[in-house]
Amino acid sequence: MESVLYNLGIGFVHVFQPVNFLVLVLGIILGLLVAVLPGLTLVMGVVLALPFTYNMHVIPAIVLLTAMYISGTYAGAWTSILFRVPGEPIDVPLLWDGYTMARKGEAAYALGWTLLSAFVGGIVAAVVMVALAQPIAKIALTFSTPEYFAILFFGLASVVSLGGSSLTNALVSLFAGLLIASVGVDDTYGAHRFTFGVPILSDGIDYLVVMVGAYGLGEVFQRLEKQFRSVPFESVSEIRTRLPQLKEVFARKGTFARGSALGIVVGLVPGAGATVASFLSYGMESQYGARARQMGSGVPEGIIAPQTAATASVGGAIIPLVTMGIPGSGATAIILGAFLLHGLQPGPQVFQTSSHIVYSMFASVFVGIVVMCVIGYFATRFMVKVLALPEVIVSAYVVMCCLLGAFAARNNITDVWLMVLFGIVGYLFERFRFPITPLVLGVILGPLAESSFMTTMISHANDWTVFFTRPISGPIMLVAILTLLYPVLRRMYHETKHRAGRHTQRQE
Amino acid sequence: MGFSVPLSRIVPYALVGAGAGYLYYVAANIEYHARAGTLGPDFWPKAILALTIAVCLYEVVKIALLGTRAQDTAGVLEEMAEEGIEQHADAQAAEPPAENHPLLLVAGMLATLAYVWIVQRLGFFLATVAYLAVFMWLGGYRRGRVIAAVSLIGTLVLLLIFMKLVYVSLPIGVPPFAEVTLFLMNVMGIR
Repeated sequence: MESVLYNLGIGFVHVFQPVNFLVLVLGIILGLLVAVLPGLTLVMGVVLALPFTYNMHVIPAIVLLTAMYISGTYAGAWTSILFRVPGEPIDVPLLWDGYTMARKGEAAYALGWTLLSAFVGGIVAAVVMVALAQPIAKIALTFSTPEYFAILFFGLASVVSLGGSSLTNALVSLFAGLLIASVGVDDTYGAHRFTFGVPILSDGIDYLVVMVGAYGLGEVFQRLEKQFRSVPFESVSEIRTRLPQLKEVFARKGTFARGSALGIVVGLVPGAGATVASFLSYGMESQYGARARQMGSGVPEGIIAPQTAATASVGGAIIPLVTMGIPGSGATAIILGAFLLHGLQPGPQVFQTSSHIVYSMFASVFVGIVVMCVIGYFATRFMVKVLALPEVIVSAYVVMCCLLGAFAARNNITDVWLMVLFGIVGYLFERFRFPITPLVLGVILGPLAESSFMTTMISHANDWTVFFTRPISGPIMLVAILTLLYPVLRRMYHETKHRAGRHTQRQE
Repeated sequence: MGFSVPLSRIVPYALVGAGAGYLYYVAANIEYHARAGTLGPDFWPKAILALTIAVCLYEVVKIALLGTRAQDTAGVLEEMAEEGIEQHADAQAAEPPAENHPLLLVAGMLATLAYVWIVQRLGFFLATVAYLAVFMWLGGYRRGRVIAAVSLIGTLVLLLIFMKLVYVSLPIGVPPFAEVTLFLMNVMGIR
């Protein structure tokens, strides 16, 4: 524990260096703006910031992206509560009680609860993140390739079973991502796979190109098709934040605890980020909370539950990234990209070789949350003014950042062509209800999954049962399969229940 | 069955399945020196493609057999979100029905593709100013002076950031257009 605190102290020293601190403040402001601006999502914002980190040192680069990730989970609440415009899906549950409170004339109070929830959720998760990271990294050091494959399989299974309107579409999307990841020269045999004689494809398709295209350009194309028709927002005369009293906070400590715990757990699960945390936490509070029946009528619990969980998910999502090198969400995947760009592979070894970088990241979470809350308290009324910016102008620059980001990755125009292609693919995926997250995580985790699978096969004479017979990988594989089957079983259960209900009604 | 089958639902799966079939053929012809007792580099892509084909086939058969009754199994989050949204429909943002503009979309895509082609010839500055202006106009923005100012100033800022701070060598174009970019680089002190 002492070494953890010592390393964290070093992390704080790095974060408080003038340049790093300035970068952190900039990241927080950018994240807040991204969350407020229509047409820009948290992941898109972090993607667009990545090219600007190419020439930075590793610590400011990681600090910038982490800061954006933290504040991106918070500021969308302002527009949800004040204007009934959720900045992104994370903020939809905040409409139900937050906006209702604003309609009752309690907007400042609702913003106060949001700020406090983001603070509590973020800090609790950050403490848990610091406490768990090193023990998990130590366990991960004992893992062999079957365990890694099992964890990756679980991650991919949870991505498929959680999101999307169709399980089969999510599977197709995931397979497309895994296939894109297999393009290029194979590591073991040096064989060319799907290169079609194009030299740059021999190096494979950079997942950043896929991410920038599918998340950034694809989203802009969707909004262009609607001619950037945004939801009109009502004007609010006075925007300020009023913090609740201490006794009111203590009366709701259970909601804070549930939201924070759920956010951390959800953040740990690959594929389930802030949005899942926010919805799940609201749902749990509606069922088990002390004021469950009043949820939706404008009670603070309806703000605390989703906001605490959304911000807490950040700390949870960072744990698998730094301890095993497995990004659980779009934003952490980009942070992984920043690590890789600077020649660092996150994983258990990074705690031994570059612990100052990991702990600087941890420290930036603590400092970032405090800075975010300070800015959030004083600057909400100025920040929401960016809503007045014409969306088409913002989108034009989003496209430019996408094009420049793709070009800057390898200084190659082929990457830009590929990015535009993936932008069109991203648009088509959304159009035909194929979720994008499995595609992107497939591209990112594909090479890791393939290498762990192939190495296991070589080491165990092509015996695939090894994944199920080892003490750690076996249970993980089982949980992964159950996760994959869960939506199907859940639907079958509901259908059977529904049919039984109708049968009983007919008999009566 | 027969004509009641929603063709628009089958087509995407049929196309993806056919594409996967072609790629399976390509994967089956990957050249490598086989090693006894070891899986080849074609195993992983072939396994993924086989699964893709199986999933697409399942969807095609399901839609063909059940027609409009064929339902999707949604992800857990999607179902939860839908349930929540249904329960709180009154607090939801009242979004006006958004009209689709497919021609606008195609024009935007073509403009973006044209930009990638033209940026190597005209250079970053000229191509970007033109592209930003066209994009904003396509997006329905009609204030000419704002478009001109935002395109021009924005491009200069991007040029400065990427060439001077991030050290990215942006395309300068071919003569005589390259002269414009080189002139601006000189003015901005970019080497």
